[in-house]
Formats: sequence, C-alpha cells, structure tokens
Amino acid sequence: MSNVKTRPLYGRKLMSLFLTSIVTMGGFGAFFAFILSIAHKKLRVEVDPREEQVLNALPGANCGACGFASCRALAEAIVKGDAPVNSCVAGGSEVAEKISRLMGVGSVTVQKKLAFVHCGAQSEQRTKKAIYQGVKSCRAASIVMGADTACPYGCIGFGDCEVACPFNAIKMVGGLPQIDLNKCTGCGNCVNVCPQNIISLESFDDINYKVACSSLDKGKKARQVCQKACIACGLCEKFCPFDACEVKNNLAHIDLLNCQRCGVCAIKCPTNAIIQISLPLDENQPVTLDK
Amino acid sequence: MKIVLILLSAVLINNFVLRYFLGICPFLGVTGKISSSLAMGFSTTFVMTLTAAIVWPINHFVIVGLNLPFLEYVSDILVIASLVQLIEMFIRKTSPALYRSLGIYLPLITTNCGIFFLALSIPMRNYSFFESVAFGFGAGVGFTLVMLIMAGIREELEFADVPKCLQGASITLITAGLLALVFMGFTGLIGTS
Repeated sequence: MSNVKTRPLYGRKLMSLFLTSIVTMGGFGAFFAFILSIAHKKLRVEVDPREEQVLNALPGANCGACGFASCRALAEAIVKGDAPVNSCVAGGSEVAEKISRLMGVGSVTVQKKLAFVHCGAQSEQRTKKAIYQGVKSCRAASIVMGADTACPYGCIGFGDCEVACPFNAIKMVGGLPQIDLNKCTGCGNCVNVCPQNIISLESFDDINYKVACSSLDKGKKARQVCQKACIACGLCEKFCPFDACEVKNNLAHIDLLNCQRCGVCAIKCPTNAIIQISLPLDENQPVTLDK
Repeated sequence: MKIVLILLSAVLINNFVLRYFLGICPFLGVTGKISSSLAMGFSTTFVMTLTAAIVWPINHFVIVGLNLPFLEYVSDILVIASLVQLIEMFIRKTSPALYRSLGIYLPLITTNCGIFFLALSIPMRNYSFFESVAFGFGAGVGFTLVMLIMAGIREELEFADVPKCLQGASITLITAGLLALVFMGFTGLIGTS
C-alpha cells in the first residue's frame, strides 16, 4: 500500500476522509455484529449457571470415584438430576452440603468410607520365595506367580496404590502401604489398582479393630510365610464378649455391628493380625444435614 | 494451474509454521494429541480460508478503492476476530468435549500470527480472488499437516526413552527444528514462489 498521498489534506477533503473511514469501519462493524448476533441466536448453548457453581464446589481431583469421567461430568449430571447431590465420595459431607444447598435439596446423609489394607506384614516380616528382578509394579509382579512374596494373598509392596492415590494419602513404609486416614477420601482408586485385592473401603469410627490379613491358608502354612498372618487360631472368637469375631475360611472377621470396641481380640491375637486404629472423632462421623 | 501451484506452495514450500515460523503457539501447545491437533488445524483452516475470502474484497474495493490504506490492519483484525467468534460458537454448540480440549487455544486463533500474516500478505502478492482463497486454504492445510505430523511424533515420543536432560519442552523444540529442516527440502520444488 504505497499509494498514500504525502500531500497534507485540509478542509473538505480531510472531512470527507474522516467520514469515509468512519462510515466504512462502522459499516464493517455493524455487518459483522449482525452476523454474529444471528449466529449467537442460532448456535446458543444453554448452560445452567449452577453447573459452574457445582463444579467449583467439587474437589476437582477428577478421581473418578463417583463413576463419572471427571468432576465436570459429575457436575453436569448433578445439575441435570442424573446423579444424587452426594455422589462425590472424595468430598464427603462438606461438599455434599454445599451442592445440596446449590441444588436446593433438603437433607443429605453421607456415610464416609475409607481405604484399609488387609495385610499387616512389612517386607522383613514376609518370607521370600524367590528373587524378583522385573518391573517394579505390583500388577506386573502379580503376573509372575505373585512376585517374591511367599504369601499368595498379601501385599507385594511395589506401591501401585501409592501411585494411584490422587490425594497423596498412601505412603509405602517398609514395603507396606500406610494410609493417612486424614487425607484419604475413600475414592477407591487404590482398591481398583491392587492386584491382590487386599485394599477395601471400610466404615471407620473413632476406635476401630480390623483384621490386617487376607490369608486363607491354614494356620501352619500361613505362619510359615508370614509373621503377622492370621493363623485362624480362633482366640478372638473365643474371647470376644459380644460375638463379633468369627473365623471363616481360616481368616478372622469382625462384625462391625456387634463390635463394641473393647479391644480384647487385638490383645489376644497371638500374631497381632488384629490391629487397633484410632481416629479423630469429628471428622469421620456420618453427617446429617438439615436445611 | 496457477491456483494448484499456489495451493501446493502454501502447503509445502511456504509452510507458515516451518518456513515463516508463524503460529508456533498452537504448534507447540495443542500438538499433544492427534485428535485435538486435527481439530485445531481444521478450525484454523476454516478461519484462514474465510479470512482470505473476506479480506480480498475488502482490500480490493474498500481499502484500495476508497484509498484508505491506514484502515487495512484494523479491518483485518475485525474480520479475524469475528470469524473466530463464529467458529468458537459453532464448536461449542456441536462438540462441547472438543471445545474443552482446545481450551484457551481456540480464542487464541484470533491472535494467531499466521492468520494475520495471511491477511497482510494477500494485498502484497497481487493475487486474484480465487488465488487468494486458494492461498488461504493452502496455508490452513499446511498448518494442519504440520500440526498432524508434530502430534504423531509427540505421541510416539511418549514411549521413547528420552534422556532426562532433554525431556519435556526441549525434545519438543528439537523435534520442531528437525521438522523445519525436513521442510526446507521442499524449497525449489515449484520454481520460484
């Protein structure tokens, strides 16, 4: 564009230049605005403003525990009414309360469940049956005859669950996952990833007695491969004053409904396979909300 | 025939990304996955073709016709911004998932220097209307092609054993440089252009 006139413009010529440029640009602007306004009418997407608010209330970790691909997908489903307001497992009662307020739903109860590892043996307490030199992953190791651990039921110890946890609640200590129950949200990612199926989501109270073993072997064999194994001796069953303990398939089980948290089973257990876990009371109680 | 030559030269020889180094931002930002890079390429092609088709008559009849050369940049920006708005609405309506995966890069097509370069270079090149549309379309196709190649390489790179000091951005930049070297090989394929 080299045909710019270098001679200065005055008077009517300058005015007409002003006018033409203003009219042309104004015309262009009006024309594009017209097209865009038509397009806006034709291509409008109805977005519920609550969707964004619900999304903001959710933790945003995209853990997938609710069954939806992401927090945004869950927010869409909640606003559409396809999912209940307390779907977010990870957020617990606090998030459910916020969302129920946004959605105008009355009372909501959230039963919080947290992850628990049904194996209590650190690597030096586990008998080795072989030397494993493969990929350092539980899933890979479990394919090769359960890695180097002699116990076919217990923890392999490469920490797939630690990697899977989106909330950094799991740390591998001595080859055994240690779950920080204050950080655990019960999303269940570790449950899905564990090839031994020794992690499960359990209800927790302020004091809990849990069986930290999954071995279904007979007592002698279980004892040979692990120092912490449940040997199905039946002492807990015998001494429990409330009939809460029961040995099924060579493994002790504690019935949460009958258990009165006396702790006799943990004291009597010869291998310390039954352990006590204490929690701060206020955080993990089931919460009922009233509007 | 000239149109085919213009098209080919815009795709391969005068490729905007690897010859002029324009539009590097989406080239490095959206090429993580083939699907999103393809979508980005198509959106940019759409905007480029329409920009060429609209800028040419505006330039020919208004800017030159009324002798208002100082309005060229402003009108170009107006055209590009409106087109990007349009395509943003369209993508949001037709595919919300794509809309989210493109994210900030979609409105950033507005400031894609490749498109602005295209709008500015059309009057400079003295093309006819159809030639300039072919040039815009070719530039878009070339952009899409390079995005696709880069995304394919980067998807493979995910599985490669890259030395630690080269991981991440550095290996991406090295790949881009090698690609630019490859495209230099097309120079002189079609006479001078």
